[in-house]
Amino acid sequence: MVDISRFNTHILPVRFEYFAPETLDEVIELLKTYGEEAKILAGGTDLLVKMKQRLASPKYVISLRKVKELDFIEVGDDGIHIGAATKLRRLERSDVIRRRLPVLYEAIKSMASVQVRNMATIGGNLCNASPAADTAPPLLVLDAKLKIMGPEGARVVPIDKFFLGPGKTVLKPTELLTEIIVPHPKEGTGTAFIKVSRVAMDLAKVNIAVALRLGSGDVIEHVRIALGAVAPTPMRAYKAEEFLLGKEFSEENIVKAAEIVSGEVRPITDIRSTAEYRRELSKVLTKRALKIAYERIRMR
Amino acid sequence: MNASRHYLAKAYFVGRRLISEIMTQVFRYVGKKLVRVDGYTKVTGLEKFTIDIQLPGMLYGRILRSPYAHAIVKEIDTGEAERMGAVVVTFKDVPKVPFNPRLVSIHEVTYRDWLVLTDRPLYVGEPIAAVAAETEEKAQRALEAIKVKYEVLEPILDPLEAMKPGKPLLHKRIYLGDKEVEVKNNIACELRYKEGDPDRGFKESDIVLERVYRTNRRYHMQLEPRGAVCRPEPDGGITLWTTTQTIHNTRILINQIFGIPISKINVVRLPIGGGFGSSIHANMATLICVALALKARRPVKLIYTREEDMHDHVGFSMIFRIKGGAKKDGTLMAGELETVVDVGAHQVQPYPLLGCLLGWFVSLYKWRNVRYVGRAVYTNKVPACAIRGFGNPELHWAVESFLDELAEELGMDPIDLKLKNYVGLGDVFWGQGPTVRSVIRSDGVKELIKEGAKLIGWDKRLKPSERKGTVRRGVGFARGFHTSGTGGPLSGHVIDLSWALVKVNVDGSVEYITPLIDHGGGTLFAHAKIVAEELGVPLSKVRIVPSDTHMTGYDVCTHASRGVYVGGEAARRAAAKVKKKLLEYAARILDVPNPEALRIEPDEELSQGVIYVEGAPEKRITVGEVARIAWQKNWGSIAELVSYRATNCPPTFTAYFVEVEVDTETGVVRPVKVVAGADVGTPINPDLVAGQLHGGFVMGWSMAILEDVVHDPKTGELMNKGFITDYKIPTATDIPPVDDFIVILAKTREPTGPFGAKGIGEAATNPVAAAVANAIYNAIGIRFYELPITPEKILKALKERRG
Repeated sequence: MVDISRFNTHILPVRFEYFAPETLDEVIELLKTYGEEAKILAGGTDLLVKMKQRLASPKYVISLRKVKELDFIEVGDDGIHIGAATKLRRLERSDVIRRRLPVLYEAIKSMASVQVRNMATIGGNLCNASPAADTAPPLLVLDAKLKIMGPEGARVVPIDKFFLGPGKTVLKPTELLTEIIVPHPKEGTGTAFIKVSRVAMDLAKVNIAVALRLGSGDVIEHVRIALGAVAPTPMRAYKAEEFLLGKEFSEENIVKAAEIVSGEVRPITDIRSTAEYRRELSKVLTKRALKIAYERIRMR
Repeated sequence: MNASRHYLAKAYFVGRRLISEIMTQVFRYVGKKLVRVDGYTKVTGLEKFTIDIQLPGMLYGRILRSPYAHAIVKEIDTGEAERMGAVVVTFKDVPKVPFNPRLVSIHEVTYRDWLVLTDRPLYVGEPIAAVAAETEEKAQRALEAIKVKYEVLEPILDPLEAMKPGKPLLHKRIYLGDKEVEVKNNIACELRYKEGDPDRGFKESDIVLERVYRTNRRYHMQLEPRGAVCRPEPDGGITLWTTTQTIHNTRILINQIFGIPISKINVVRLPIGGGFGSSIHANMATLICVALALKARRPVKLIYTREEDMHDHVGFSMIFRIKGGAKKDGTLMAGELETVVDVGAHQVQPYPLLGCLLGWFVSLYKWRNVRYVGRAVYTNKVPACAIRGFGNPELHWAVESFLDELAEELGMDPIDLKLKNYVGLGDVFWGQGPTVRSVIRSDGVKELIKEGAKLIGWDKRLKPSERKGTVRRGVGFARGFHTSGTGGPLSGHVIDLSWALVKVNVDGSVEYITPLIDHGGGTLFAHAKIVAEELGVPLSKVRIVPSDTHMTGYDVCTHASRGVYVGGEAARRAAAKVKKKLLEYAARILDVPNPEALRIEPDEELSQGVIYVEGAPEKRITVGEVARIAWQKNWGSIAELVSYRATNCPPTFTAYFVEVEVDTETGVVRPVKVVAGADVGTPINPDLVAGQLHGGFVMGWSMAILEDVVHDPKTGELMNKGFITDYKIPTATDIPPVDDFIVILAKTREPTGPFGAKGIGEAATNPVAAAVANAIYNAIGIRFYELPITPEKILKALKERRG
């Protein structure tokens, strides 16, 4: 039962204590103290709505607004490092992201409105762990690693091991995501991102990202396929990837891979779409995304 | 300038087309693109809407709503909430006066089944009780402290189910006017009609088609959620700021329910952030706010959250069965329409809607012999009310799809079939059901279709079978109309009155006082232009004065696209009366024997209207000087008022050509190009007319492919819980770029409208869904009989066709 007298996106009648620490150490100290009863507030585009909807009622809210050390885009030897509290809009406007990680750029561009992207952070999008999170498929195909910190120190988790279910991640209550490390895509990698939604400014019915690299004779040397909104978490299509690896990039193989993807996804029917449609779209979009990635390699 | 005036007078005597062309040249303000007066305050956020009203000592209200679609309140305990300091009202505290929140139709045909607060909730969200407290948060906490025990009953959500014998009745007894009536089979109201001999008509037809169409249930999604601020006055009266499309009907309704004398109720005219029909009736927020303020004896503000707003109003959904017969040459011989309207839990005057659906049906095409059965049925859903077009977009979709199909069966071009049978110049038009009829005096249909067909390349349109490839284009056409107001030569079931007051001040400035609401479409700016044009003063001199029910006479409502056509004509007539008086005084001052010898022209340099005699330059005086002398010499005020009843309800014709692209692998439909044609007579605000067409297209597009308010079939809850994350409407990125959206306006003039004008708001959207559906058919060769036509449905249908 939905109690309409309680559920809204306007009034926040619950009491909570608010912290605005300035350093990461302070954040970790606060997490250590309040743990389960605390929530990290990044952009607030998910958390505040959830609190108003009474789906989350933390006693303590720890804001990252003043933690400057979580807001960065840096190019390192091992890859591109992105602070977890970096705003989507900053990423979208970054030359580094647009040139070096176009698939992430395309995904961010497709998200919500400029106003929301001005608030929302990349770490927030991942930690919210929506099956439809648009930043997840690109980061999955780029083999991103996530740096997590807590009172026991730091650990690094590959992104395909990060999501556990809708709204669930490997983060412990005392931990927070601090950084996303995206290895430099190898020379000759082609990528693509496609999202199908009810309207342009919307959550995905299905989203997909691919990364592709070819050897001589169009033999597939490297391939990653990741989809969102078709399973309890953003997912990699491992079986399709395995099928394609070492094979020639041909219409026949692409069609077969797409078939495999439609078998791998586990979509549901909800208000946004039907399971049947999502399964069909997974197939269609796999073909299309792979072809776009291929064309992009050829265009170089 | 004098020469151009002369030219205008001559132009009246030549052909229709020439008149409008010349007229546009000679008008000073009418037909010109000018910056609207409220533009600056709106884009800078200075404009005050209901939510912006702040009063000393004001409390904030919140509403306790039923979480069940069908229940009986067994117990309610408000003790804790009151101990928290909140003022609480429940169903026990409000007058037990059944009412209908919409007062547009006359009392005798108005069904009354509402209470302000109820212990028998009939939809998820029906108000049970309400609280007021110092802050919204405190009010919310107090609300959550109220304990209610419900006996939960099974909801009925399908109107066809609801009509089956033996189903529990949502309402047993309701009122029709002052009579108590029994409800049978959950039928809220019913209308039957017959003209000619339809059975013979079908027999004489060479071809007969019968189809069933199901529409979606659309939420208005107006920008401003509904709400109110109510201040009790020391003399027992109240002042009310609220989201309404009619201040006078709001006040009459409050008088009916709460018994406060009308003279002690003042409803203030405010701008409103869109209506689309959601506030033709008084919103429950308004009535509950009054109840709270009267009990608290303090001002109360009550604004819906977006989620509440979505649980408060929605458009009607409908099922149509259409049977139509035609001769081989395309002459229509008979038409039959059976409709079931799902009204939800209470009546917001669906009876006039049943009349309108019939009226729209017979006014689209000459069926020659007609049979109609209309039923409005109760279900345990959010009460439905008018949504832009009052059944017309829905009916247009069905009829324009039907005729497309009929044309194909006949082997005719649908345009030819439609032109052969459409109701046009000289025919009788039903502006608001059987009791509101007038003769059509302006008709740009042929002109719009000819021009539109050329612009879209209609002649080169391929057949569905000729379209190939993954992504297929299709071109669709639909035409139609909407009424301008609900006037007519006779007084029928619908009230249509307007009121205007124009006043000339001693500095030459002009005050225009109106009770009419501007929903944001620029209606009052059009009025200001009309007043300036008629009076002959600079537009900058005309101020639309803040007003309320105390200082104005009765205007029924801004609905039925009547704001410019009826309200604007009232303004013009008041201005004409003022002008007459001004000229009388000026003749006295200038020693001119006959005031008819005088002219008024705006002098932009002087920033004044100037009165003069043609050919006698020494006989000149400003409007301000006339008013000043009339004051100094004790002649009197120069002010005139008009209570105006329109004797016509002219249709504004529209014609849409839409090109779409259907992706046959994803089912996604994209609009490629739109030609939107409208016959609005003289466009007072041509840029805002175009704006209405753009907006009307988006709303119709959305109706065709996207929107639907879906209820959980078991519980009756909204599937999206009221969250607009899951009730999408298109934004600018979803529609064609401006360059691919062509607006054409017919060169017509409506002889009964102010300076030849007709309405536009609803006509702009009525044929759109039909044109889109016809375009989808043209692209993939599949017709859909249920809205919205989602990618899921398209893909499924394509798959089924492949077998």
